[in-house]
Amino acid sequence: MESSDFLQDQLARASEELSGYKKELLDTRRFLNCILENSDEMVFATDVEGILVSFSKGGEKALGYTMEQMVGRHVNDLVDDPLEFEKLAAISRKEGSAGRSDFPLQHKAGHAIYFDISLISLTDADGQFAGTVGICRDIAPWKKFQEDLIRVDRLAEIGRTASGIVHEINNPVAVIGEISGWIEVVVNDAKGLGQEDRDELETAVQHIIKQVKRCRNITQQLLSYVRDSEPTQSSLDVHELLKETVSFLNPELKHKDIEVVLDFMEGPLLLHSDKQMLEQVFVNLISNAIYAVKEKGGTGGRIVLKTSKNDSMLEIKISDNGTGISEENQKQMHDLFFSTKPSGKGTGLGLPICQNIIKKLGGGFSFETKVGEGTTFIVKLPD
Amino acid sequence: MNEKPDIKVLLIDDEETLIEYLSKRLLREGFTVKATFSGEEGLEVGANEDFDVAVVDLKMPGIDGVETQQKLKKIQPFLQSIVLTGHGAIDTALESGRQDAFKYLLKPIEYDNLVEAIREAYEKKVELQQAKFRQEVDDIYRAGMGARGIKKAMNKLRKIYGIE
Repeated sequence: MESSDFLQDQLARASEELSGYKKELLDTRRFLNCILENSDEMVFATDVEGILVSFSKGGEKALGYTMEQMVGRHVNDLVDDPLEFEKLAAISRKEGSAGRSDFPLQHKAGHAIYFDISLISLTDADGQFAGTVGICRDIAPWKKFQEDLIRVDRLAEIGRTASGIVHEINNPVAVIGEISGWIEVVVNDAKGLGQEDRDELETAVQHIIKQVKRCRNITQQLLSYVRDSEPTQSSLDVHELLKETVSFLNPELKHKDIEVVLDFMEGPLLLHSDKQMLEQVFVNLISNAIYAVKEKGGTGGRIVLKTSKNDSMLEIKISDNGTGISEENQKQMHDLFFSTKPSGKGTGLGLPICQNIIKKLGGGFSFETKVGEGTTFIVKLPD
Repeated sequence: MNEKPDIKVLLIDDEETLIEYLSKRLLREGFTVKATFSGEEGLEVGANEDFDVAVVDLKMPGIDGVETQQKLKKIQPFLQSIVLTGHGAIDTALESGRQDAFKYLLKPIEYDNLVEAIREAYEKKVELQQAKFRQEVDDIYRAGMGARGIKKAMNKLRKIYGIE
């Protein structure tokens, strides 16, 4: 009996000890799960077969799945390239761990997202392979930062190049201006020149002089974009300026057989602002409208210029019935040097310059567009 | 002096075609024009010939515009310089302005602006010259020379300042 008592006693003690261990084990497991599941990093764990047994909150955020959706599925469902993943997993089984930067996993929506990934092989008490833990860091922000840096660098470089080129172009432009001035003088003084020829020559010279001025404007605008100069103030009539812009672009409009409708509010629309800058905005927007109409092809091309005034803002709407802007292009249209025009036709500076200018003038800039139907740009300026 | 004054202009710019046509136009306008294509050449010509106004490009290989007009000023103290400058070189141009340039003009220049600036520069030159002449005349009288001495000194001055 004594031995039976002893045994019972031993058993009770062992059972008590065991439940202590069990509690400790549960606590530890809870502790680990808490870390695993709540980590902002993406942490996942698989069993021997590669079936996911755990998936952290960071992973839910990064890949779009919830833990419930993932647990029980094979890890390959997360991976963009299962073969590559298997290679990495094989190394981790052999060496204990393996890592790779820039490794693609697959988002729920189907696209790849890049991570710094570390795989750690788990072994049980006997040293047997028991599963894999993966710790992944989303490097998208870092990648974006890197891309931004490259972009800024590229922009600065292009800015430097552009101002260099502009300076170089200014000289030949000046020479052309000087020569056309000289031709004008000679034609004026020439004897024995018929009236018709004289008129022809005078008109031609005037055209050259006008184009030289245009070049001068472009180079100065470009430099002002690069240099960020402040606007000057003068009194101007927006209606007059719009009409001037249309007549400036008239050759283009006629050539493409586009009708321009002026839907102006009554009277002059007076404004105190930078005339050159506004002109640049109108030229850019109307040129874009012409291009959109031309791209659509067919007849019946129409551009409507509408002005109105409400509260303390002037509103100028430039509408076309051209191609419209696709959603994809809408995302990029404000980027410097993004252009849908064939190379050599568009600088990709037009819209950014417009935005920049309107911001400087204290106004607002927006657009409405429908693919196949046309686009309206809305410029708002403080009265 | 009732007629349009004969204004002597010295052009200094390495852009040869520009200067060629610019000088043709200025000649027809009634200016006397000498065209040179570098700071060095401009200074050489300036050492041997009197001018009223110099039009100097800021950016030139060799002696640049600022230095050229400073040196010209030493050779011909009354000469007024107009400095041509590219966009963004205004700081240097202002520097040149502090060094006594009459005016700086932004390139590409507007011909009418240039002609106007040349005429203004000429007037400034004449004004300075006459002020200096009067001052020296006063000095001569005050020096208390005899009539003959005064006449001699005056003739010398007239010759120097080109004033009848």
